[in-house]
Amino acid sequence: MLTMLEEVVLLAVDEQTGSLRSTREFGTAYALVGAVFFDLALARRIDTDTEAIRIVDRAPTGNTTLDRVLAEMAAKPHLSTVRQWIEEIFLNRRDLEGEALSSLIGQGILRHEKSRRLWIIDVERFPMVNDRPQQHVKARLAQAILTDAIPETRDIMLVSIAEQCGLLGYVLSETQIQGRRQRVANLSRLETISRQVNEAIAGLDFTRQQSVGKIV
Amino acid sequence: MIEATQETRAGWLVVAVKGRADAETADQLESALRSAVDQHAKVAADFRALDYISSAGLRAVLQAARAAQENHREFAVCGLSDSVKKVFDMSGMHHVLMIHGELPC
Repeated sequence: MLTMLEEVVLLAVDEQTGSLRSTREFGTAYALVGAVFFDLALARRIDTDTEAIRIVDRAPTGNTTLDRVLAEMAAKPHLSTVRQWIEEIFLNRRDLEGEALSSLIGQGILRHEKSRRLWIIDVERFPMVNDRPQQHVKARLAQAILTDAIPETRDIMLVSIAEQCGLLGYVLSETQIQGRRQRVANLSRLETISRQVNEAIAGLDFTRQQSVGKIV
Repeated sequence: MIEATQETRAGWLVVAVKGRADAETADQLESALRSAVDQHAKVAADFRALDYISSAGLRAVLQAARAAQENHREFAVCGLSDSVKKVFDMSGMHHVLMIHGELPC
């Protein structure tokens, strides 16, 4: 089974060209940290309440990315809220996207191609070797959003990360998204980690608007 | 630790839950609620003696509600303490669950 991080990065791969699509660069970085926390929660290594995040089991999961984040968390017990950890990992500039891509290549789902544009600029692409996992992720996402049924835990998490990464438009039409905007908001709100990621993104947007205001 | 006891009252199977619902007890909570849903058409989770609920606990309740929905059973949550109600409110659980102040029976 793919991790939440791998699922959302796979969703970002254009199935026609193999290029990576991301419409919210900084928002995506925060959301990917959220995905790692979801993976740790699903592995029963961490738990959260309205604000705090705590380790409940330090045993390694066997996944390099998750175990590294778990070890970092164990080493810094003074950071106790979800928001603090989202920003801590974001500031460390860990390449979570790159790690997930490597894993997807290793699992035979993607392959890596590197070429040069205008003889200078390196262009990386990740064409699909096996498109079934991405189709499965898209189908679960559409099902979770377009029906009123209570989704599985993983699918609730997937909706919130895909929304934060600006990827819903690659699965549903604009009309479908507009018609189900409240449903997406309701599902995203169910998880503390999603709410904290949203607040972190909103805080970042506010800071950027203030910076632009000062320049103007 | 969590304790779950069952009682049938006016057509409802009431599952009274006592203790803390967190990562350590979430499986136990989900199992108790799912088992009730398997047995009865109307299930009420009585949380008057639930002291604390974390995200793992909320997921357990939500997945029990999902099982009820899939099996066309009625599932209600009731008697939330102030601290537990705060967590339910922040998560917007009322959008997906039936939540009552008192037992529905």
